[in-house]
Amino acid sequence: MIRLLKIEFKKVAYNKTFWILLGLYALILGTIFFGIQSVINEFMIDAGKKAPIPVTKISLYEFPAIWQNLTYVAGYFKIILAIIVIIFITNEYSYRTIRQNIITGLSRWDFLLSKLLMILVISAGATMFLFIIGLILGFTNTPEVTLSMMFVNLTFVFTYFLELFAFMVFALFLGILTKRSGLTIGLLFLYFYIIEKYIYYKLPDGWGDYLPLRSIGNLIDIPNTSLMKIFGLNFRTFVSVQDVIVVFVYSFIFIYLMRLTLKKSDL
Amino acid sequence: MSEEVLVIDKLTKRYGKLKAVDELSITIEKGNIYGILGPNGSGKTTTLGIVLDAINATSGSFKWFGETPSKAMRKRVSAILETPVFYPYMSAVKNLEIIADIKEASYDQIPDVLKTVDLLARKNSKFRTYSLGMKQRLAIAAALIGNPEVLIFDEPTNGLDPHGIAEIRNLIKKIANEGLTIVLASHLLDEVQKVCTHVVVLEKGKKLFAGKVDEVLGSSILVEIAGPEMDKIEAVLNKSEFVVKVERDDKMFIAELKTGIDSSAINKSLVEQGITISHISLRKKSLENYFLELLAESHDKTS
Repeated sequence: MIRLLKIEFKKVAYNKTFWILLGLYALILGTIFFGIQSVINEFMIDAGKKAPIPVTKISLYEFPAIWQNLTYVAGYFKIILAIIVIIFITNEYSYRTIRQNIITGLSRWDFLLSKLLMILVISAGATMFLFIIGLILGFTNTPEVTLSMMFVNLTFVFTYFLELFAFMVFALFLGILTKRSGLTIGLLFLYFYIIEKYIYYKLPDGWGDYLPLRSIGNLIDIPNTSLMKIFGLNFRTFVSVQDVIVVFVYSFIFIYLMRLTLKKSDL
Repeated sequence: MSEEVLVIDKLTKRYGKLKAVDELSITIEKGNIYGILGPNGSGKTTTLGIVLDAINATSGSFKWFGETPSKAMRKRVSAILETPVFYPYMSAVKNLEIIADIKEASYDQIPDVLKTVDLLARKNSKFRTYSLGMKQRLAIAAALIGNPEVLIFDEPTNGLDPHGIAEIRNLIKKIANEGLTIVLASHLLDEVQKVCTHVVVLEKGKKLFAGKVDEVLGSSILVEIAGPEMDKIEAVLNKSEFVVKVERDDKMFIAELKTGIDSSAINKSLVEQGITISHISLRKKSLENYFLELLAESHDKTS
């Protein structure tokens, strides 16, 4: 396991594209998290001046609500991580290094396992990044911090980890299926933003929630804000066990399909 | 006693209707240098791809070191199939480290193998900056990592200039002297003749011939002879009991000797007649002729 991870780490460590995309991901998330609150508040205060009823200053970053808020927003940017995964798996095909890796003595399962381990590490790293940002913002925005407030909603952080992992497993699956980077990235966007949404509306009520990317997206629901409560909307403020199970099942199915594809293909 | 390194048994690979490899059986024994010879598309790379697990066979089986294939056994075998393959954005050393990691070999060997292929000075350059010859040499260096018992080279001199070709051939010979088993796939007859001890000839995925290179060529020895008195030489050669056939080739005679006779016998009889010669040398019968004969025979059979 360690050996496979070491091999995989070497493959990415010397690659500029990897660091650029990873940096971009961190930069985008950092900018949004550190910048968005002041933008929203300025807007709200501005609106409050003219409003007949007083608008309270809102904070997205108070413990414990912060964990759902952050993980929900960060969820939109997991596509960048998926692109990293796609570039790395399809590079192995275009350089033909997958073939050389096998010839040198890696089994096909080892090869797949090394990619899955890397996805696990990226998921863990990105989750850690979010957790640290959450702690910083939480401490600076919560008037009185207690330990239970800090950790009561940490399930969202673990769920975020699962969300990233499952999404990247899906990206890896597409990459192994098509073997070409441009095609795979295009396909991911097409499927994510159009095809699955179309199928969702075509399916009977409730069924669409079991589509693979939809179920990954469902893990963390839209956070409730006071504004939404005014409109009578109420979203789920917890992670449903059923969603977690569905996502696990999908991950296993995709891993199994990748294993089968690799086993049967001529490299 | 010879030890069987690789036994291929009735291997078949179909691509749709096309049979790339057709019931092929080959045995590779320890310590020899095998040339797998065949025109492009004869199934050389496919066969090697199958025994290296890169390609799945349609039917048939193969055994490495008498065992069914496993990860452990593949660490004893190194191979370069077709073009040298490395991560272009990484240096030679880092690429070799990955190879060593996969083979679970130590990094200590890396400077040695780079020295063997004369790339030590460029070890930190990125692979994509290498010339084709350097890439081929790096591939050979990579193949040496982990002290494999068997080396497989597929068209190792493809696309190289004459200097590069000579370099690679010398390298392979050097490696062969260390007692490794080598399998060299090539469509270049000359290459196989110069480097290999054994030859397997393939066409359309079938085995046409397998045997020792010497046996193919050794059935008749050709000797080139020249001297100031060509007429006298010709007379002696024509009368000699050792000679089967004499041909004149430009400024020399080419005498085909009877089996078991070597060139010293001819030299002796010429000297005994008081004839001085300026040139006498062995010319091996070209593998090319033999190969063309084989191919012609197989075409006769099929047509």
